[in-house]
Amino acid sequence: MQRPTYGQSPPLHHPVPQHVSTVPQLRSPPPLTSQPQGHGYDGSPYPQQQQQAPPGGNMFAQYGNFMNDPTAQIATQFGQTAFRQGQDYLEKNVNRLVNVSALKHYFNVTNSYVINKLFLVLFPWRHKPWTRRQASEVGAGGGQEAWFYLPPRDDINSPDMYIPVMSIVTYVFLRTLFAGFRGEFEPQLFGSVATIAIVMMILEILALRIGCYLLNISNQSQLLDLMAYSGYKFVGVIVTIAVSEIFNRGKGTGGWVGWTLFVYTCLANSLFLMRSLKYVLLPENNNTNQGPMQTMHPLDSRAKRSQRTQFLFAYSYPVQALLMWILCRP
Amino acid sequence: MSFLGKILYVTVLILNAIVVLSEDRFLARVNLTPATHNRSFGGPGGVDSSVKYNAIQLIASIRTLMRIPLIVINTLIIVYELVLG
Repeated sequence: MQRPTYGQSPPLHHPVPQHVSTVPQLRSPPPLTSQPQGHGYDGSPYPQQQQQAPPGGNMFAQYGNFMNDPTAQIATQFGQTAFRQGQDYLEKNVNRLVNVSALKHYFNVTNSYVINKLFLVLFPWRHKPWTRRQASEVGAGGGQEAWFYLPPRDDINSPDMYIPVMSIVTYVFLRTLFAGFRGEFEPQLFGSVATIAIVMMILEILALRIGCYLLNISNQSQLLDLMAYSGYKFVGVIVTIAVSEIFNRGKGTGGWVGWTLFVYTCLANSLFLMRSLKYVLLPENNNTNQGPMQTMHPLDSRAKRSQRTQFLFAYSYPVQALLMWILCRP
Repeated sequence: MSFLGKILYVTVLILNAIVVLSEDRFLARVNLTPATHNRSFGGPGGVDSSVKYNAIQLIASIRTLMRIPLIVINTLIIVYELVLG
């Protein structure tokens, strides 16, 4: 009795079914129109609904016990099952594409972690222990110890993805904001700046992966770590373009303030990356289980190690400087 | 052409450049096929993991993997360029 307006509607004259319908009863309730809908409905597939309507009663009694209607119950059950199955399907496919539980590890941050990490990216000169903290967990079999890295909440040296994601978004907004200050704002600017930033990251990660493949570096969860680390340079870029925009009175990066800031943030970011990526690209304790070749030939291992060090240096300093310069350009 | 279109063209052209290398005329002469590399170093079944060996493997796998798809992609791009370019 929630809809008393339907009480005034004239009684509907449903057509009497003239043949047995073969259409299944999984359907939505009839439309809530107050007009008589008798005409043009010959042969309608609604025989049961009409039989359950109280004889001589008005229409909304039928709507009142709509949920008790067995066909409606079947319909709702069917809908719920379909919805649940669709959700399961979606979850399964998303999980196949990206490892959600592994991603959650990277977003497990606290406020103090974010502030400390931002300070560390911008001022990495005095930070001392750069190794990630590990915790051990005795496996269910007993005796088998499983090592895992602590999440960013507990360890400042752990890579996270909160800062990279937020800084990319901030970078896109800042660039469009400055373009707006100069009177050059277009809505396409969001798309083009975001495209350049993301393509830059993808190319960088691709180059890193090829380098890792060529140098035979394999590590667990490496791709996500590299994605996280390649996003930290946006912090330096944001600081550079924001502060130089203020000092240069809206003329973009450049001048001695802009270049000094750029060089400083570039060096800081490079040192941070070099120290942090050391455990990814120069794994020390993995040598024993990488095959017999490396333990048999220490000379070979040393040559390989120097190659890896050069690769790490080339990635941290020149490549990062180039990418940050491209991102800082007006 | 948009930025992403340029990136796509660069990727396709680089893949073409790798696939178009002739195996017996060029790659074997500079010792960049898996067969000649193994023969020249003489390691019978040893697990080699030098940079050069990995590069050779990369080139060989791109050549075998991307040959058929690149035909399709190149045809599509040529048709696109002829009609709309």
